[in-house]
Amino acid sequence: MAVIGNKKYSKQIEHHFSKYPDKRSAVMPLLYIAQEEYGWVNDDGIQEVAELCELDPTHVKSIAGFYTMYSEKSKGKYWLQVCTDLSCALRGADEFHKDLKAYLEVEEGGTTDDDLFTVEHVMCLAACDNAPMLQCNFHYMENLDMEKMKAWVEEKRAELQKELDA
Amino acid sequence: MVTPVKEDTELVTINIDGKDYQVPKGGNLVDMAKWVAGNDIPVFCYHPKMDPVGMCRMCLIELGGVARDRATGDIQYNDDGTPQIRWFPKLQTACTQTVNDGMYIKTNTEQVKEGRESVIEFLLTSHPLDCPICDKGGECPLQNLTMAHGNGVSRMYFDDKMHLNKHYPLGDLIYLDRERCIQCARCIRFQDEIVGDDVLAFHERGRRLQIITNSDPGFDTYFSGNTTDICPVGALTTGDFRFGARPWELTEVPSISPWDAAGENISLSTRLDRDFGGKAMIKRVMPRQNEYVNEIWISDKTRFGHHFTRSDNRLSKIQIRKGSNFSESTWDSTFKAVAKTLKEANGSVAAIAGGSATNEDLYELAQLVTGLGGDKLGAWSPTHTGADLVAQVGLPEGSNLGELGAGDAILVIASDLEEEVPMWRLRLKTAQDRGAYLVVANGRNTRLEELATEDPNIKGRVVDGAAIRYEAGSAAAVMANLKKSNKDIAKKLADANHLVIVAGAEGLTLEGHRALVQSAANFLIDSGHAGKVNSGLLVPLPGANGMGLHYMGFSPETTQDIAANPPKVLIVLNAEILDDDPTAKTWLSQVDTVITLGYFMDAIARESKFVLPVQTFAERDGSFTNGERRVQRFYTAQGPMGDAIPAWKAVGNIAQAADLGRAKLSAAAVMVAIAKNVAAFEGITYKVLARTERQFPDVGGDDKYYGGNAYQNTGGIGKQIALSGTAKSEKVTVPDALKAGKGEIVLLPTTRLYDRSHMFIPTVMVRSRVSLPFVHLNPKDAKALKLADGDYAEVNYDGGSVRVRAVVSDDVSVGAAVFPRKLTEKATPLVPTVGTITKVTEPAQIEG
Repeated sequence: MAVIGNKKYSKQIEHHFSKYPDKRSAVMPLLYIAQEEYGWVNDDGIQEVAELCELDPTHVKSIAGFYTMYSEKSKGKYWLQVCTDLSCALRGADEFHKDLKAYLEVEEGGTTDDDLFTVEHVMCLAACDNAPMLQCNFHYMENLDMEKMKAWVEEKRAELQKELDA
Repeated sequence: MVTPVKEDTELVTINIDGKDYQVPKGGNLVDMAKWVAGNDIPVFCYHPKMDPVGMCRMCLIELGGVARDRATGDIQYNDDGTPQIRWFPKLQTACTQTVNDGMYIKTNTEQVKEGRESVIEFLLTSHPLDCPICDKGGECPLQNLTMAHGNGVSRMYFDDKMHLNKHYPLGDLIYLDRERCIQCARCIRFQDEIVGDDVLAFHERGRRLQIITNSDPGFDTYFSGNTTDICPVGALTTGDFRFGARPWELTEVPSISPWDAAGENISLSTRLDRDFGGKAMIKRVMPRQNEYVNEIWISDKTRFGHHFTRSDNRLSKIQIRKGSNFSESTWDSTFKAVAKTLKEANGSVAAIAGGSATNEDLYELAQLVTGLGGDKLGAWSPTHTGADLVAQVGLPEGSNLGELGAGDAILVIASDLEEEVPMWRLRLKTAQDRGAYLVVANGRNTRLEELATEDPNIKGRVVDGAAIRYEAGSAAAVMANLKKSNKDIAKKLADANHLVIVAGAEGLTLEGHRALVQSAANFLIDSGHAGKVNSGLLVPLPGANGMGLHYMGFSPETTQDIAANPPKVLIVLNAEILDDDPTAKTWLSQVDTVITLGYFMDAIARESKFVLPVQTFAERDGSFTNGERRVQRFYTAQGPMGDAIPAWKAVGNIAQAADLGRAKLSAAAVMVAIAKNVAAFEGITYKVLARTERQFPDVGGDDKYYGGNAYQNTGGIGKQIALSGTAKSEKVTVPDALKAGKGEIVLLPTTRLYDRSHMFIPTVMVRSRVSLPFVHLNPKDAKALKLADGDYAEVNYDGGSVRVRAVVSDDVSVGAAVFPRKLTEKATPLVPTVGTITKVTEPAQIEG
């Protein structure tokens, strides 16, 4: 795993650099790339972004620490952010959030033992009409209930099992 | 005097609490209120040496200005004829205000009082209040300002207190207590603005905001200790002093750094300590403000390097050789025996002294040698020369590197200043920040090169701008031909208002360095800078008293003469000749008797007939002359080590025993004799050296907020020796650079700040930061030698061989291998020499 030298990102990185007069200005979009690659902003990612932006790694870490959308804790493969704000709650999102945690046997912000799922609650994701909803790795899953959710979770677990067996 | 008011300063009138004051325009309000009115506006984040940020909000004041009609711009008056003042509706931060005409401030109103009280209460919401076990307790700005401005009670729920890491090592030397931190960012800004190595930063935000470093290895710049001084709380502490003593138990003794030519003013905090047999012991080293020399900073070597003074390896007894063994003796009989030996030499007596001997020691030694009919006084080490030219075209009296700025220029040639004289590097870096044009010329890449002024109009060999990379060893030729080979840079230097040239000796033989220094002097004379205040020549002479050696008659050229014509009796004072120079044993074997005065049983001491223990700077008083020719006095701080006495005393008593006059009774008395007999020291007495003056910025006084940050200078700011002599621009003959034959390579010794010398190695806590011995090669040379980066190599040279690690990169030039001195216990080349390097495979035999 790497950001530097990874073909997947080279175009994106070039694009971000081209937007700014200084390389250092691209530090935030590049941090997102690092987060995408590693699942969270880890020390390897920080080193690589620092190298790319010609910054001291301390400053890259400082930026990652300031903004809450960068995660500095390792996350499961699926990062589930459930909206529990008022209008979602009126449609049962808080119950859904609670049930989901109970089903996955995790605390708030915690990760399942198999490193597949991380659950946390977030502020408004602007999809109240389709609540309960959540954001999985920044992609929306809407009109949820526990039945649907359980099926999805088991599907992902089966996928993992298949991978492990192979 | 160092003051904000210069002859040409424009003054403006400001009103503080109803009283008018004249202050220099553009000054910072906090500094000015303190300087002219003695009004201590409390601060945490603000520091006069750094840009204001207005983060802590402690300096809130009421701010107003003369009201003007918005349409006409006319001043509006009250009915009684006084001008109307328009006040800001809310409190303003004083630290972010620059003074301007008609500024009105109030610092003592109810609103201000409440503002300060609230800020204190807020800062204390998560502070652990563990003052009883805190190293800063007793000299803590937070403690002081809480007592002065705080409410005494908190409305904070204790359960909501943040719990953070309390013993977090930022590196080997500095520990962070995240609970105590009040997020003033002084440490972050110090690293960024003053040092230029921004390895500290904030992480997270709000109440979780904390200091981090991601540098690898840890936080380890050469100035890291200064962050603990400017920390206004006990968040940053040094591994050296942590839990060592309470500030109120300590006695502050003014002293001078014994390490390098900068002559940093320090304060030795001592206490009668169990660990040192109940004698006074240095617990820590703090900076002492001297705006001419070190401002309020010191290097980590100065701060942490004091351990050698109490090392178990210190010489504590007189050792006299009997056959192949040494036996102890008493001073009285030793004086007689040494005097007898000296007299029997019939004038064939010479002395070699190192840079840690004081002016007094050197004067008495010179008196002894000349009194016995000898005339050879050698300075150690014979690597750097040109002190005579510094005496003629150095920085004149009243100069201050801290005043260099826009329109001025600095050339650093053949010196890795960060490793040789870190304080000069720090001050030249800040000069560059103020706009000075910094040119760095060297035969290899140094940290300093990054700081060279960028200038896209000047095409350099490595980087565009003011970094010159020349063929290793050709510094003298580069300097002599600067006007031809680097026209643009030479013109910028010559046209600058002030010009400082630092001429090091890296890659040069003594003759080569002589040519370089003379060329540099020529440049200063030709450009009209010689003798101008804030312009002149600096040479990073080794040791704290390189210039003192010159004034007392010791020269490195004489050292070469002594080596070429060895005397019958040689007196060695604080010079580790055999540890430093692998070729010295050849000529030393022709000396009948060696008398050594030193701190350690080093290699030369083991070869001596008489070994006399002398005291270090810590245990005695004396004076050093720094590289800017400032004579500075230090005082007795630490208890004695065994039988060691000051060198001037030992030498004086030997002279007395040899019937050359009575020994002096005090260092002060020696200085009286120096003033009488050494022209440059005319008028200098210990009283003159102890003179202090008010300095700007005013830190470490009676205020409550710089306390523990920097110590006011109570020991004297020293006296700079005036320039003397009339140096002329002389034709320079540049000696040929060393040429390596087939299969050979030129070895270029360099200086490392942290090394394995007898004086530095007792500082255990820094040991992990002393580089393993290495030889640094260009990839081309490495290829020819079949060496790869990280391989082990045997370096063979005249007088020895050593196994080290090879470092391969194009930071060094082709045909020359950089081979740092004093990283191994074996002597490695002192001056450039030709040697061979071969690959070896047994890493177990690596030295160091």
